[in-house]
Amino acid sequence: MSEGYTILSLDEVEHVPHRGSNLIPVRHTLGFEPAGVNAWIADTGGQLIPPHEEDSGNEELYAVVRGRATFAVGEESADAPAGSLVYVPPEVHRTATAEEDGTIVFAVGGTVGKPFNAGGWDSFAVADAYRQSGRLDEGRAIMEQLIAAKPGYWAVHYNAGCYEALGGDKDAAFVHLRHARELDSEGHAAPYFLEDVDLDPLRDDPRFQEFLA
Amino acid sequence: MNIVHIDELEEIELGDGFVWRPVRRHFDILAFGTNAYTPGATGRVVEEHTERRFEHQEMYLVLRGRVLFTVDGDEHELGTGQLVFVRDPSIRRGAVALTDDAAVLAVGGKPGAAHEVSAWEYEFVAFPHLRAGRYDEAERLLYEALDAKPGNGSVLYNLACVEALAGKHDAAIDHLSAAVDAEPQLAELAQTDEDFVSIRDDPRFPAAP
Repeated sequence: MSEGYTILSLDEVEHVPHRGSNLIPVRHTLGFEPAGVNAWIADTGGQLIPPHEEDSGNEELYAVVRGRATFAVGEESADAPAGSLVYVPPEVHRTATAEEDGTIVFAVGGTVGKPFNAGGWDSFAVADAYRQSGRLDEGRAIMEQLIAAKPGYWAVHYNAGCYEALGGDKDAAFVHLRHARELDSEGHAAPYFLEDVDLDPLRDDPRFQEFLA
Repeated sequence: MNIVHIDELEEIELGDGFVWRPVRRHFDILAFGTNAYTPGATGRVVEEHTERRFEHQEMYLVLRGRVLFTVDGDEHELGTGQLVFVRDPSIRRGAVALTDDAAVLAVGGKPGAAHEVSAWEYEFVAFPHLRAGRYDEAERLLYEALDAKPGNGSVLYNLACVEALAGKHDAAIDHLSAAVDAEPQLAELAQTDEDFVSIRDDPRFPAAP
């Protein structure tokens, strides 16, 4: 097989826990660049898609690959057997639950009118899963790869700060977060500094006040 | 809720015998390109092609059934939940269904660029009307394409085809000339295109390059 293409089975990718769901980190594994692509897997009654809303301009499409899911989008609920496609516009609350064991939902996302720019939340989820299972060096290596790939992008430094905060290295966390703030000229990170639970280990540290100004 | 089953999507059978399921168009998704394909007369589910022209990365996920992919000359039989990611746009790829129920979801775009709806999507919608002689509807859809893709050579060329077949010779000449201005290589294609039989003797017909 040439290096120009990759064959992948969703069943063979290591799942990682993320916000109560099990992420199959497709984009992180493949390095797909045009859009965000990931998948979620759960057994009966399990959460497939973490409840959330997307920011303004972010469109998402979900495809039920295997099994059966119940989608809740806004105030509506729908049964979605394999082969179903669900489109969710920006700023609408959505989640999905598995109705059969081994249900897989494939997700595609992007921002209207903008190139896809992977902030690396999915890579962060993989790194954080490694951290929680004691594979600290593997997790840190992922964060370092993200920074090396996009040294001028605030979000990768922010996520590296979160990684170190959760891992207990406050000094390293503040170094990354300062880089993130310096690069974030449009203030995208401000709401995250206010609310992101990943930064809770830092909130009692006096140094955190500079990020709330 | 915006939900549809793949079997409920519009079926547009294309020239080489596969069925295009216009996912992006159905939902009016603007952020990324995505479509699905199911087998038609020939069993094909991904046309043999490269993405050199548009420099797209593409991913093909088997949503159902079994599919035989040929990628860069290698054959791979894939089932539900397996995918091919073609990162190199110059690689030739294609696929045929091995089971009647096969369905493939494709996602693609140009890295580092905001997604633009491809002209071929409008053209694919218009082609069945063209083949069935519903020229007014084909023309309407191609004008819709021209609104979305002003000056696009391919759209102008296909609009000229429809108009030539519909007997609107002046409009056909105008649009064909504009198509050739946008993409000079289309003049060569026009010399042998059967759609232009009715206007090829017109002195305004673009000369071969």
